[in-house]
Amino acid sequence: MKARGLLWLALANVRADRRGALVNAGAATVGAAALAFFLALGLGVGDAARRMFPADARLVDVVPAGVSLSGVLGGGQLDDAAVARLREAPGVADAWPRLSLRVPVAAPRPPEGLQVNWPPGMTVQIPVVGVAPGLLAPDLGPGARFEDPAGGGAIPVVISRRILEIYDKTIAPAWNVRRLPPGLSLVGIELPVKIGLSIVPQKTEDRVYDARLRLAGLSDRIPVYLAAMPLDTVRRLHREYGKQDAGYTQVTVLARRPDDVPGIAAAVRRMGFSVDEGDRAAAERVGTVVAVTTGALAVVAVVMCGLAALAIAQSLSASVRARVREIAILEALGATPADVRLVVLAEAALLGLAGGVLGAALGRLAAIGADRVAARLLPDFPFRPETFFGWPAWIALLAVTVPALAAVLGALAPAATAARVDPARTIS
Amino acid sequence: MISLRGVTKSFRDADREVPVLRGVDLDVAPGELVAIVGASGSGKSTLLYVAGALDLDFGGEAVVAGRSLRGLSTAERADLRNRFLGFVFQSFNLLPGLSALENVMLPGILRRDGAEPVAALRTRAGDALARVGLSAQAAARPGRLSGGERQRVAIARALFARPAVLLADEPTGNLDAVTGEAIIRLFADLAREGLSVLVVTHEERVSRAATRVLHLADGRLG
Repeated sequence: MKARGLLWLALANVRADRRGALVNAGAATVGAAALAFFLALGLGVGDAARRMFPADARLVDVVPAGVSLSGVLGGGQLDDAAVARLREAPGVADAWPRLSLRVPVAAPRPPEGLQVNWPPGMTVQIPVVGVAPGLLAPDLGPGARFEDPAGGGAIPVVISRRILEIYDKTIAPAWNVRRLPPGLSLVGIELPVKIGLSIVPQKTEDRVYDARLRLAGLSDRIPVYLAAMPLDTVRRLHREYGKQDAGYTQVTVLARRPDDVPGIAAAVRRMGFSVDEGDRAAAERVGTVVAVTTGALAVVAVVMCGLAALAIAQSLSASVRARVREIAILEALGATPADVRLVVLAEAALLGLAGGVLGAALGRLAAIGADRVAARLLPDFPFRPETFFGWPAWIALLAVTVPALAAVLGALAPAATAARVDPARTIS
Repeated sequence: MISLRGVTKSFRDADREVPVLRGVDLDVAPGELVAIVGASGSGKSTLLYVAGALDLDFGGEAVVAGRSLRGLSTAERADLRNRFLGFVFQSFNLLPGLSALENVMLPGILRRDGAEPVAALRTRAGDALARVGLSAQAAARPGRLSGGERQRVAIARALFARPAVLLADEPTGNLDAVTGEAIIRLFADLAREGLSVLVVTHEERVSRAATRVLHLADGRLG
């Protein structure tokens, strides 16, 4: 029998038992909806978590070892020679040093050109790290430069993208001050600062002078609590204030591929340095929690699809038992046992597919509803996503195919029973 | 069209074999309406199912529509039933979930080469129903038809594939006298058009219309 005839007969059987078909497709719908909903929820929450804890899988932060064995291993101090050696390590694409600024910088006034309700008398201490320009090159605003303005002028800084979100969602509402405009529109604003000024009186340097910081970009490669200046600016300020540089604070290594990271970490340790797992470990922990939760929910959804398949199998078994005479007639009219088997499987596939399509749509609707409820009930916390769901095309595909496949698997036994019907004995 | 030689068939009852057919020889030529009569349980239906390629578990030789049933694969037997044989049963055996028209077009749906479009199958099924006088009931489910109408739908279905052989098992058993007579006349007409018609029955009125009447008793035709 051709596929056309197969489909015709399967549809005819579905039409003939509309109530059973509705129950079976309903079971598949519930399974598919749960599968689509939970997978999309896992993806959406995962995306939100990644925005909250961004971690580039190719970056490795190298720090001096806590207990240095430099005398034995020739490592310990992160100097230019160490950076050069790190660049030569297998799998390394580049390495950029970072150096913490040991001269205090404080802002006694708000950024210029930005309407914020700066509390009177407030001075904000700004922790600064100097970084090699290459590390932040991809994150600079259009036309912005990240070089030391040795001849005077505003010092370019790059801050964490996340600090804006935290400010907007926590500080601004708490202080009842204006929220900041969206990310890149801030690039170019300037903040008057005092170099050498600390909010801790004993830490203020003998010499304090006015300077300006100009926002050059926003980056996830900068910790949320720091502002990044060009490395040369930090060195210049250290020279101005007589601070000795005893090696870099940190070196950020870029691996060629994420797979190279374990080898690079091992090489780093052999050189006598440590790998700072802080941000990466936090991101990995969050990622693991999200993945495990999503996986568990997906398993529950797959189990629901399995139960739907069992329901379909049981229903089809009963249907086959009730239709043995019809099956025998089909064989008398020219169907082979293989045809009969395929008709039952096609019937199950149709029910599973119909349930899958309905379930995918239902899952999507449920997600829209959940987003609306969340928008109404949840407070506006940092990194709160617009939607808690991710909907790549493969979720809909999976929601449609998994119940269909489960239904077909469930129909194997009733299909085999149908194929064993002996037309001569049954009709007579 | 039908040639049976030394056909034997037995059923197993507990530990013993119960012979039903004991060397049956039968020939039905094109244009013949052959009636096989016999008591209930005499093996009439069994003989029909052997000739209809529905039961392969028999001894002897059976050639139907020019094909020896012994050498055919499952698919070839199904194709033979689909293209060359038409069945009419006592209990009509229509699919209750399909309309009369859909029941009639089933052999076309099951056709292995399946080249004929569904629309064409519908048209031909409509023609077949018209031939048995049931055009008005084309959309009706079997449950809404009378016994005679159901049997005429079954005959239309049997004739849909333009078979060479028509096999009927007690075709008038569930019909009133008038309807039964009409069915018998239809069978006689079909035989005159060249079909080989084999009817098993225990009704005398069928025998009267047959070109030959054979009695099956003790597993033998006489």
